[in-house]
Amino acid sequence: MKAELSPRMQVFLYGLLCVLLVPFVFPTWWMVTSSVKPISDIFAFPPQLVPESYDWTTYSKVFELQPFVKQYWNSAYIAALVTVGTMVVSSMAGYAFARIRFPFANTIFMVVLLGLLIPSEVTIVPLFQMFLKAGMVNTHWPLILVPIFGAPSVFATFVMRQFFIALPAELEEAARVDGLGRFKIFRKIALPLARPALASVAIFTFLHSWNLYLEPIVFLSSADKFTLPQALTQYTDAYGGPMWNIQLAAATLTALPVLIVFIIAQKQFVEGLAHTGLKG
Amino acid sequence: MAEVTLSNVRKSYGAVDIIHGIDLGITDGEFVVLVGPSGCGKSTLLRMIAGLETITGGEVKIGGRVVNDLDPKDRDIAMVFQNYALYPHMTVATNMGFSLEHRGGSKAEIAERVKWAADILGLAPLLDRYPRQLSGGQRQRVAMGRAIVRDPKVFLFDEPLSNLDAKLRVVMRGEIKSLHQRLKTTTIYVTHDQVEAMTMADKIVVLNGGRVEQIGAPLDLYDRPANQFVAGFIGSPSMNFLTGTITSEGFTAPGVMLPIPETALGHMGRKAVYGIRPEHFALDETGVPAEIVLVEPMGSETQVTMKLGETLVTGVFRERVSLSPGATIRMWPELNNIHLFAADDGQRLN
Repeated sequence: MKAELSPRMQVFLYGLLCVLLVPFVFPTWWMVTSSVKPISDIFAFPPQLVPESYDWTTYSKVFELQPFVKQYWNSAYIAALVTVGTMVVSSMAGYAFARIRFPFANTIFMVVLLGLLIPSEVTIVPLFQMFLKAGMVNTHWPLILVPIFGAPSVFATFVMRQFFIALPAELEEAARVDGLGRFKIFRKIALPLARPALASVAIFTFLHSWNLYLEPIVFLSSADKFTLPQALTQYTDAYGGPMWNIQLAAATLTALPVLIVFIIAQKQFVEGLAHTGLKG
Repeated sequence: MAEVTLSNVRKSYGAVDIIHGIDLGITDGEFVVLVGPSGCGKSTLLRMIAGLETITGGEVKIGGRVVNDLDPKDRDIAMVFQNYALYPHMTVATNMGFSLEHRGGSKAEIAERVKWAADILGLAPLLDRYPRQLSGGQRQRVAMGRAIVRDPKVFLFDEPLSNLDAKLRVVMRGEIKSLHQRLKTTTIYVTHDQVEAMTMADKIVVLNGGRVEQIGAPLDLYDRPANQFVAGFIGSPSMNFLTGTITSEGFTAPGVMLPIPETALGHMGRKAVYGIRPEHFALDETGVPAEIVLVEPMGSETQVTMKLGETLVTGVFRERVSLSPGATIRMWPELNNIHLFAADDGQRLN
């Protein structure tokens, strides 16, 4: 049984947690509040935690200055496709590495994991040349295909493999006796049980794709094809300086779906990570 | 229902032999228990029959058909696993009907079979629950329900009671036995618990180190063990062994001379092991003396650890005798129940 903390200790711990909360909450608070402040108030010192006046026109300007709805849609459908594709690829690959005995399985898995060690900046030039030859530059294909078969999918495969390794072998044996072949065992038994791991894969893959910045600025050049992180940089004045309040309004709108997804699915996210052994 | 025949069945992992050529015939409707200590190969043998392990050599026949290369699903067997292996994301009813569903059964047929099995096992009120909402005993019943629902030729049980507490184990033991008596399906049951083996089996196969030590009816194994290993494994408390020499006066063990049956006289002068079960000591004022070391009253009987000569032995007495550590009692081993084994290879002599 855990020992009860004394009231004084509890007050201290809660106080400490509140202090630690500041660096995480303040930037979001500052982003949201600054999106409705006049530019002159944004960098005022001491900072205004609560705006003195509210200027909601910044939000309408977000949509006036750029095809923001189209860009929102671009980000959403690319992230959705990448998420579904990664879930399919990583669950099958993870299952194969965890459950199917084949020669050099562990060595191949190690080689696959090495993909995580290579920064995307290193591979971006050859990838650009490859997609240029394929006529896919200034299309969304690179933003869809690279994550599905690249580092995000490798990480997802690792997560899924760790989950499937922990699945009792007797379940599969029972399914074999019940008349299921390998693929049906995967689809009917292993996959439904892997929901927590799949949920966490879905969340971090979606977040990764939603926040992707380097690849869009390399592969895309038309404003109507931009994704949101790339679009945010376009809210500038005639001299190239950022239009802070409009940019922060766009950033707030960009962060909204991510926050909603995380709030809804945070339980699965934590459970999924716990299965991978990544969390203590 | 079907007979099962194993002919010179062998299993090796690389150069390591696990099963060394087992021959076994199981008749239609028989309840056979494979028993032996951990690592003796009993679960491996069962899994080879199920098709979950490949067979290195020999032949496995189910219902007269060689099944060596058939998948588990094509062997017409059902298996109950040690950890039940119920699908956690399916209800009891879905778990039970799952195999029928994948064999193309109609919904009506599946529902009827599930209901039939649930009624037999008292699972009807639990059909909509998930495995996590069931107790250990209920899960065990569902695992059995899943096995019986499609009327297989052979039931395979892999230590199904080992996760239950002692009391529930006794209850479930009875349920499995009565289920077999009702369905009369050929059953192969693996356990390391010799009490389970004795109480449930029509025929016991004692395995040790991947070899069959003895095959026989429970009481045959109990009354006439073929060797010292079987003698020591079957029976609880286990048989007492004293090492010594067979002489014309009797059996000379360190510090004590014990009587021997006439059947042992042909082995005069031979080094041997004298085996006597704890309940086969009879208190007698003219008997050999034994110093009491420990007294354990069990209610229906009293278990006494005592020093017979220089060897510690266990005796079980149904009489309510007043015994205390340090005292000496006198007793005789019952002549008809003495077992003599060769000291070198452990084989039965009498």
